[in-house]
This record gives sequence, structure tokens and C-alpha cells, in this order.
Amino acid sequence: MFESIEEVREKLAEQEYVCDRRLATVVYLAVKLDKPVLIEGPAGVGKTELAKSLAAATDRSLIRLQCYEGLDEAKALYEWEYGKQLLYTQVLREKIGEVLGPTEGLREAAAKLREQEDVFFSENFLVERPILQAITSETPPVLLLDEIDRADEEFEAFLLEFLSDYQVSIPEIGTVEAEHPPVVILTSNRTRELSEALKRRCLHLQIDYPNPEVELEIVRLKAPGVGDALAKELVETIQDIRTLDLRKSPSIGETLDWARSLVVLGAPSIDKDLIEETLSVIVKYDRDAEKVLAHVGAGPERKDIGQKEPTGENPHEAMYEMHRSTHKHTH
Amino acid sequence: MDTVINDFVQVLRRHQVRVSPAESLDALHALEQTGLGERGVVRDTLRTTLVKNTDDIETFDRLFDLYFSLRPTAEKRTAKLDVHDHDHDEGQPTSMEFGEDAEGEAPDSEEHSHEDSENTEFRRHFDEDKMRPSDDIHGEADKMRLSMFSQELILNRKPGALDQALQRITHQLKLRRARGMFSPGDLVTHGDGGQELPLDVSAADFQGLVDHLHDLEVDESLIRQLEEQSEEILRGLPQLIEQMVERQKQLEKKKDDSALMRRSLRKIFDYSPAEQRETEAAIRRIARQIHGAKTRRLKQDRTGHISVPHTLRRNVRYGGIPFNPVLRRHHEKRPRVVMLCDVSMSTRNMSRFWLHMVYQMQSLFSKVRTFVFVADVAEVTQFFEDSSMDRAVDQVFSGRVLDADVNSDFGKAAEQFRNEYLPSLNHRTTLVILGDGRNNGKPPKAEALEEIAHHVKQTIWITPEPKWGWTLGSCDMTLYEPLCDRVEVVRSVDQLASVAEELVKARV
Repeated sequence: MFESIEEVREKLAEQEYVCDRRLATVVYLAVKLDKPVLIEGPAGVGKTELAKSLAAATDRSLIRLQCYEGLDEAKALYEWEYGKQLLYTQVLREKIGEVLGPTEGLREAAAKLREQEDVFFSENFLVERPILQAITSETPPVLLLDEIDRADEEFEAFLLEFLSDYQVSIPEIGTVEAEHPPVVILTSNRTRELSEALKRRCLHLQIDYPNPEVELEIVRLKAPGVGDALAKELVETIQDIRTLDLRKSPSIGETLDWARSLVVLGAPSIDKDLIEETLSVIVKYDRDAEKVLAHVGAGPERKDIGQKEPTGENPHEAMYEMHRSTHKHTH
Repeated sequence: MDTVINDFVQVLRRHQVRVSPAESLDALHALEQTGLGERGVVRDTLRTTLVKNTDDIETFDRLFDLYFSLRPTAEKRTAKLDVHDHDHDEGQPTSMEFGEDAEGEAPDSEEHSHEDSENTEFRRHFDEDKMRPSDDIHGEADKMRLSMFSQELILNRKPGALDQALQRITHQLKLRRARGMFSPGDLVTHGDGGQELPLDVSAADFQGLVDHLHDLEVDESLIRQLEEQSEEILRGLPQLIEQMVERQKQLEKKKDDSALMRRSLRKIFDYSPAEQRETEAAIRRIARQIHGAKTRRLKQDRTGHISVPHTLRRNVRYGGIPFNPVLRRHHEKRPRVVMLCDVSMSTRNMSRFWLHMVYQMQSLFSKVRTFVFVADVAEVTQFFEDSSMDRAVDQVFSGRVLDADVNSDFGKAAEQFRNEYLPSLNHRTTLVILGDGRNNGKPPKAEALEEIAHHVKQTIWITPEPKWGWTLGSCDMTLYEPLCDRVEVVRSVDQLASVAEELVKARV
């Protein structure tokens, strides 16, 4: 599907995904070697976006599995459709006499029944969940296992068979193997360390905040309304803010949000006041906001953003506060 | 190529980067796909297939630069500096010095160099200027980019020339050594036909190099191409070898410079065998209690959602009519514990015992993460998982994870913990802090602890000091106490046992 590393880059660029050569190399290898890719990096640097762009660039469907705590096989792989099975047994009850026909003794009846029993454990009664979907799909899709670090460790172990051989074992049916191995992309925010076994099976890619040139290119691509000079200034400011010791540095996502909000505000250039007014777009914690303000020189005289009370103009901040208070409450 | 990659993997392993055989195979397959055309691509390929831990990337980059070195001057300077620092720490010369200034020590240091060369393999060196002609010769310029081993190949293919060169050098060495061992300058006169080789390497190192060269198996066609310019390379041999040795030194595994310190620590804080047995028995007791508590919470199924499969299974006997539903509840199987353990001087005697406890905790609960702090915080979960208890504890005190000899500063530690590890906490986590809360006059930063406490289910502080001692000296326990759900004074194993039990019993 790709012939060279350059081609990967070009195709991704067509999807408005700017990437460096390192990333392109990894993607190229993943496709060529049929190996899953594990992407680690802070939130908002385009890990998920890569999978989306890759799927679009290669005209494949994207199957996405968002991982969370307590995710189990029934949600990720397959589930028996018990309701349907039950319905079928009820409906087919009369049919059974017909199928069995005139039999001599229970033994023969049981044997006849046994011949038919795989009807009820066939793929008809299987609800395919993302991973099984990816395996059975006729055209190989791109499978995105998003934020794998949120799932339990047991789930990782369960993934191992799939990741190394692109097959899953279903006790009642047997092993289902993928004819065309899907491209598998796992992402992790490193909230916990993944197991060695999982890492060993994957190509590893660490994505970090981009350098100024790449970021500028991304801003130009994704927020076309921003003028060249403003874009440059904006990227410089963001890069500068990232050098601060913040709890959550602004990611590319935030850069773009900021760029778009500047377009909406019709700001000609970036100055202290503007930063102060739009700070909530790029910094999501009150302590970080204080630090940024102090850094850009706006000084602490206007500290209303740094107050405990949600200001209302920032939904994230409000959510965060709520989150905190409910927590204490529940225990 | 296999040989080179395998060799590089060996180097990585010696630097604590874990590379499995499957991964090095992957690397080879991957290189087949990408080719050796570009240095950057080769680097990315090797990195993505061999290095799976973010922390190791730095090591990889450094070693890659050294191993496949293309830029001789600028980078080497800094690298060299590194090595010298390192040598200084060790306090021992790593290789024999044959120059004038090493005369008196020659026999002694030779011993060391032998020792070092045991795990020594020679790194090759690639000098860009020197290799440029080769680009022209066979037009496969790109292929040759990786060719730090091309020189090796030539050496391998021209044993006569190599031996000759080596003989010359070793001869020279002998002369110099002889001079070193006896009175300087007496036995040897300069300029007696042998040319002065600017070499500072030991004979043992040489043997290693020769062995290594003979071991390599190489591709025939490549050799033929290379042979054409072998003469030129041989001319540069002395420098080459010297650089190889230099490189080798840098690539060598970092010596455990903390061995001495560890030994002395152990002497001070080691328990007597009797004490050790006692502690261990007590911990086993705690462990049993924890264990018992764990199974109890797995039991019941009385409340929760209806489980269709189980209900169906149970109601088969009623013809599939579900009048006996099965309810299932999502269980909190095991407690999640984050341990924050003070290993500073003031609590060190206790913390050895604490770390033993932590070790047990970790083997019993799947979701235990352990951090140690003095003034900085470092995660040590992996140590406890990977190595035996004693080794893990030694590692913590070795001074490699953090500086264990500064004054404890919980305020700073808490702040750092908040900034870096807050995501590892959630509302089901129990945070256990083991420490005495003595900040030595530094800011207590209670707000950092407060924020941490907000994020966890409960905070338990275990301190060795009884309550009346909190007001004495620079102890900030009075500040921290209201922020914690419980503060337990634990000086003995008995007290600890009761705390551990309650910890497990705690309502989920």
C-alpha cells in the first residue's frame, strides 16, 4: 500500500496530517511488517489523529476501540447473543421433533441432536466487537485501540494473542484468524507503564510536542484563517509557554483552538491583554494560568482567572471543579 | 549486517536497555524493508523496533551516535569529557597507560585493563573523510554510509597486513612497557627504526580486537570492493585503533560507582540475622492477613445488574423463563495503593523495614506503585517487581535513583509528586505515606498534599514518631495531619500489622 517512506509522508500530508520522517518511517514499517504500532506521548499531540489520517489516506475503514477501566473481552472482542439464542430455541422447539424424526432410544436422539448443536454456537449468534470485526473484515481496516493505558493490565494480556498473530481464540468455535492483517495502532498517555510483553510485540513511537516549524505548518493547514505573521507569533508564544514548568502544557489541540479563537476575535497580533483574555483556551489549570501570566508579564494584579471559582467561560475548568467536589463526596 | 546489529544489541543490553531476541529479529526484518540508505531512517528503524521504553530513548540515541559514529570531532569532545568524569568517579584507571607519565604504575594498571577487557569488544570507527574515496570507487555511496564495519572487514580479509601492523604496534608497546618497568629511558632509544605510534592501549585490548575481527563473517562481494582501498585504511591504522579503544571505553557498561557507598550503608543499617528473621516472620504474618482480607471481598453477587448469560444458564431448568435472575456487581477486586516512602537519613532505619513491607505489598496487590523520596521523588515500583527484595532495597539506597543523602524535604517531594504523578492517582487509590514529616525548616507546601489528597480515596500517613514528638524540632506533622484521613504511629511490627489489616478492610 505504501512503496516508500516518502509516500507515507505525502499521503498523510494529503489528509492534512503533518509528520516528520521518524513517524513516517514507523508507519511505513508497520504496514510492511504487519506489526502493531504503540504510540506514546502527552495528550493532544495527534496520536489518535494519526490513525484517522492513516485510515483516510489508505482508503480503509477505521475501527476504534476506546479503552477504559473495566473493559473486558465481551466489549472488545465478541459476545454471545443470548437473547437471540433463546429466541431461536423457543421458535425452533417444534422443529426439533421433526429434525430428530423417528429415533430408537435416547442415545440415538442425543447423537442426532449433537449433529445440530453447532447451530447454536455459530457465528450467527456472535456479536462482533471491534477486535473481531477487524479480524473478520474483508478489507483490512485500521484498528485504533485508543488509550490502552486506561484498560486493566489483564486486558493487555488478553490482547497479546491478537497482536502477535492477528488471531483470537473463541472456545466454542475455535481460532479465528485474520486473512488480511489489519493495521493496528495503540495509543497511550502513559498514565501507567504498559507491560513488557505488549511493548515487545509493537513498534514503539514516542510523539512529543512538535518543533516550531512543524507546528507552524500544522496551524497553517488546520486553521487557515490565521495570517502568516500571527501564526508565527502564536506558535512562538506557545513554544515559549511550553518551556514553563506547567502541570499540563498546551498541546497542538490547544494551539489550534487558540488559533481559531483568535480568528473569531479578529485579533491582529498577540499582546499581553489578549493572552490574558484567551488564556483559558490554552491553559486548563488555575495554577498554570498564574504561571503563564507571570511569565508573559501581565503580572498578578488581575488574578480572577486564578480563582477557585469556575469562571464559566471555560467548560473544562468548570468540569474539573465539579469533578473534584463530587469525588470527595462519594467517599 | 546481522553481526553488526546483534553486536549493537549487545551494547544496548549492557546499558540496561532490555532488548529481546524477537525484537532484534524485528529490527533486521525492518532494515530489510527500509534499506541502509539513510542514516536517519536506520536510526528511526532501530529505535522503533528495539527501544520500547521512553526513558531508554536517550541512551539509545547516545549509543547510536557512538556506535555508528559519523561526526568525529565535535561530538567526540563532549563524549570524552563524560568518560573522564566517569573514570574519575571510579578512581581507577580503566586502561593501561604506556606514556611517559604512567611509568611507575604500569604493572599494576595492566591488571585492571585485563579485567576490563573481559567484556570488551571492539567498536569500530568510521571516519567520514577517510571513507569518501570509497564512495567514488563503487558508486554505492549510500550503502557505505553505515560502513563503520567496512574497515573491520578489510582488517579481517587481510590478515597478513593486520598481523604486520599489530606486530609493529605490540613491539612498540613492549618496548615502552619495558621502559616503564625499569628505569625510564635506559633500555630503549628512540628512533631505532620503529616509528613512534601514538597509542595508549593495552595488549589485552589488542587481543580482544583481533579476536573480534576474526569472528566476523562478511559478505564476499563487499570485501572485494573494499580491498581496493585497504591500503589507505591501513595507513591510518594507529589512529583508528586508538579511536576504537576510546570508543570502546565510552560504550562500556557504566560501572556501578555506588558499590562502595552501598557497602558502607549496609554495614550501618544491616539487621542482625535474628532481627531479620523476626521482621520477615512479622511481614509474613501481615501478608497472610492481607491475603485473607483479599479473598473475602471477592465473594458476593447480591446486588448489581442483571447478567443475561448467567440468568439464562441458571434458568434452563425452568425452560428458559427467567424468574430467577442473577445479579452481578462490578467488584473492586484489590485495593490500589500508592506508597510514598521517605528514605532520608532521619528515618533510614525505619525505611529499610518499610521497604520490606512495601515489597510484600507489591507482590500481593497488583496495583501498588511505590515511590521513594528524600527531596526528590522517584518511582521504584519496577525495582521491586524485577529483583529480589534485598537487591531492590539496595538499589533504592544506592543513590542512583535519587540523592539519598540530602536533608529530607517533604514539601518539595509532595509538590513534585503532584506535578508528575497525579495521573497515577484516582478516587479508588489509597495513598500511604511513610515518613516523619520533618522538613528541616523548608516550606511544608501543605497545599500540594491537599491537592493530592483530593484525588485519592484516602490518605494514610504512617510516622515513626509518637504524637507528642511532632511539636519538637522542625516537624510539620501538625500541618499535614488534618489533610490525611488517618495518621498512624508505627514503630513496631505489631502496630504495623493492625494498620495493614485496617487498610485492607477499608470500605470501598
